[in-house]
Amino acid sequence: MSPQSTTAHRTEFSPERMAKFHEYAEEYPNKRSALMMVLRLAEEEFGSITDEAMEIVAGLCNVSVAHVQGMVTFYTHFKRPFHGKHRFMVCATLMCALEKNTDAALDQIKARLGIAPGQRTHDGLFSCEKVECLADCDKPPVVQCDNEHFCSMKGAVLDQYLDKLLKEEGKSAAEYKAKSPVDMDPRVPTLPAHYNFPGETETGARKTENKDPYLKAGEGALTTNVPGPLATPFTVPVADGVNAKGAPSNNRPGHDSAGNFSNPASNGKHGAKHG
Amino acid sequence: MADAQTPAAAPTPAPAPEPKPKVPFSPILLKHINEPDSHTLAHYAARGGYETAKAHIGITVPGDLIKLVDDSGLRGRGGAGFPTGKKWSFLAKGTGKPIYLAVNGDESEPGTFKDRYILERDPHQLVEGVILTCYAIGSKHAFIYLRGEFILGYQRLEAAVQEAKAKGYVGKKIFGKDADLTITVVRGAGAYICGEETGMLSSIEGGRGYPKIKPPFPAVSGLFGCPTIVNNVETISAVVHIVKNGPAWHKQWGTEKSPGFKIFCLSGAVKKPGIYEVPLGITMREMIEVHGGGLKDGRKLKAVIPGGLSAPVLTAEMVDKCTLDYESLASLGSMLGSGGITVLDEEVDMISAIYNTMRFYHHESCGQCTPCREGTGWLEKVAHRFHHNDGHQGDVELLGDIAKNMRGRTICVLADAAAMPMQSYLQHFKKDFEAKVKETAFVEKQRTYRDEITPTAKSITATGAGPSALDVGSNQGSR
Repeated sequence: MSPQSTTAHRTEFSPERMAKFHEYAEEYPNKRSALMMVLRLAEEEFGSITDEAMEIVAGLCNVSVAHVQGMVTFYTHFKRPFHGKHRFMVCATLMCALEKNTDAALDQIKARLGIAPGQRTHDGLFSCEKVECLADCDKPPVVQCDNEHFCSMKGAVLDQYLDKLLKEEGKSAAEYKAKSPVDMDPRVPTLPAHYNFPGETETGARKTENKDPYLKAGEGALTTNVPGPLATPFTVPVADGVNAKGAPSNNRPGHDSAGNFSNPASNGKHGAKHG
Repeated sequence: MADAQTPAAAPTPAPAPEPKPKVPFSPILLKHINEPDSHTLAHYAARGGYETAKAHIGITVPGDLIKLVDDSGLRGRGGAGFPTGKKWSFLAKGTGKPIYLAVNGDESEPGTFKDRYILERDPHQLVEGVILTCYAIGSKHAFIYLRGEFILGYQRLEAAVQEAKAKGYVGKKIFGKDADLTITVVRGAGAYICGEETGMLSSIEGGRGYPKIKPPFPAVSGLFGCPTIVNNVETISAVVHIVKNGPAWHKQWGTEKSPGFKIFCLSGAVKKPGIYEVPLGITMREMIEVHGGGLKDGRKLKAVIPGGLSAPVLTAEMVDKCTLDYESLASLGSMLGSGGITVLDEEVDMISAIYNTMRFYHHESCGQCTPCREGTGWLEKVAHRFHHNDGHQGDVELLGDIAKNMRGRTICVLADAAAMPMQSYLQHFKKDFEAKVKETAFVEKQRTYRDEITPTAKSITATGAGPSALDVGSNQGSR
């Protein structure tokens, strides 16, 4: 959860993960098809799939960021920044839910960490959620946490595991009892405070440069002497289908290139008044 | 961890109900899973591993291998039960495109966990099966798609592929013969729909796991638009043993139309839940009472879900008539599916069970087709009302109506998978639903509610906000 104090844009993973990526790129028929595995790399690299990670993955796999985001939101197991560092996934499908096994596990997590499904602790260390089948239905309840798989996870086994994690983090159950948890909401912006898009200031506010993004480098800002539809709103067509420059027009007769209704005087039938 | 302890696969020979002579059976695919280091190449090689592949690659004609598997009558173990040899023979030939093998290890059907054991305890068996299958269908690249939950399974399979590569069983010129093979292991990330074959292919292609419409079937146009064979992990593993021992050996077990053996996953209220490999055609009672050790604490059987959560439920009376083969379950209106048997005892509230089931399918619908995306949501909402003792009059019919209108109207069978259990619960446990219906009909309740919040048309006109204010008669006169 510690924010990295870098404002520079990264376009790659660390060298060893890039080596892994090149391995995938060679093995798969195209880079897009390696997405599932590259997203796993991103998860390892960043701890969760942040917006920055999604941009890197999009760049590497030659797809749009929107496509990557579509993937990340479709597959439930990818870890997102709003999840806790230790993400408890408790199976709630029928086979685990029978005999209240799921409830038993959830109650124990709630008792230790104070978090119900859909919540994370105030410090973002632990989160809990109900998920669908984790495929170990003969030993309920099944829980996954920190890329590890546990079955028959209730009673003393779960308590021991929770204690172990609390000890690792130097936390106590009493602390989580005292402070109320936070709801995990995927709609909450996940960008960390340090993260800036290109053209943004340190504080996150967009710089207000009056610059037209469509102008080429060296050209000035939009002024009145730049030819364009707004600068010359009134053009006189010479004849139907031919504009002022003599080139055939794709526009309807009686309308100029900007789509404005043109001078009715040059065109009798369009000039007739209605009513 | 997952490999803490497993109930030993029952070695007891199964008395077959068929008139066929009884052949003693001991587990084949799961024979070695409880031995230490069974996932390593050293262990696999010591028990004759890769000998079958060595004996056939570059020696046997690929067409003979397809014929051999076809003769064995092996049927797909993933759920649909389509004959494997037939599927292989449908492969489009002479297209000039590469042929792919996609092994489905997504196993997303709740109640099923057989592939987990193969992947974690005996991955080399699968790798050898992939080598043989790829040789038979002429593929040079195989993808094995595992569900994201198989963490240990992914690590062990990946290690197994690397070991095989180091030995020259996978890679260029395998076994020193003129055949190449690349095996790519893909790890999913928790989407039920990726267990559907075309959904899985979409996921391997690097997209959301959206199923594609069939035809064209994957055997004609699958992965990257190329001919693709999709088989389950268990099917591919069984190929090794069939090629090794021949079709007659495979046919000595099972029934006429469902030959061979299959892994069943037993969960729910039995004493010994776990995985059991048995010949097809044994009775359901035997599975529950002999292998599963009977019901816990002398409870009474209420229902059985025979083939994963999507299979229509069987009542206790139907269980007595049921044998574990594709035909018997189909005749009872259910299906063998992926072999995930869940036993529900009399303490289970069937309404809670169906609500949980519907929640699952609503969550897992990929959202492409309206009947499924909306239908699963409606089923969940109405089931939720029953779950909270707030069923309305007409809701039982409403559930049946929604389920009926979902079936067969979508790209893949997820809509059917949600509708089938609902229809079977309505058929067999209608009384449970009716007990939770309150007196007011839902439509009436809605009508009362609407009248409370909406002003009538009359009151709108009276205040001047109604149609009279918008009446622009003066314009008509000018035209």
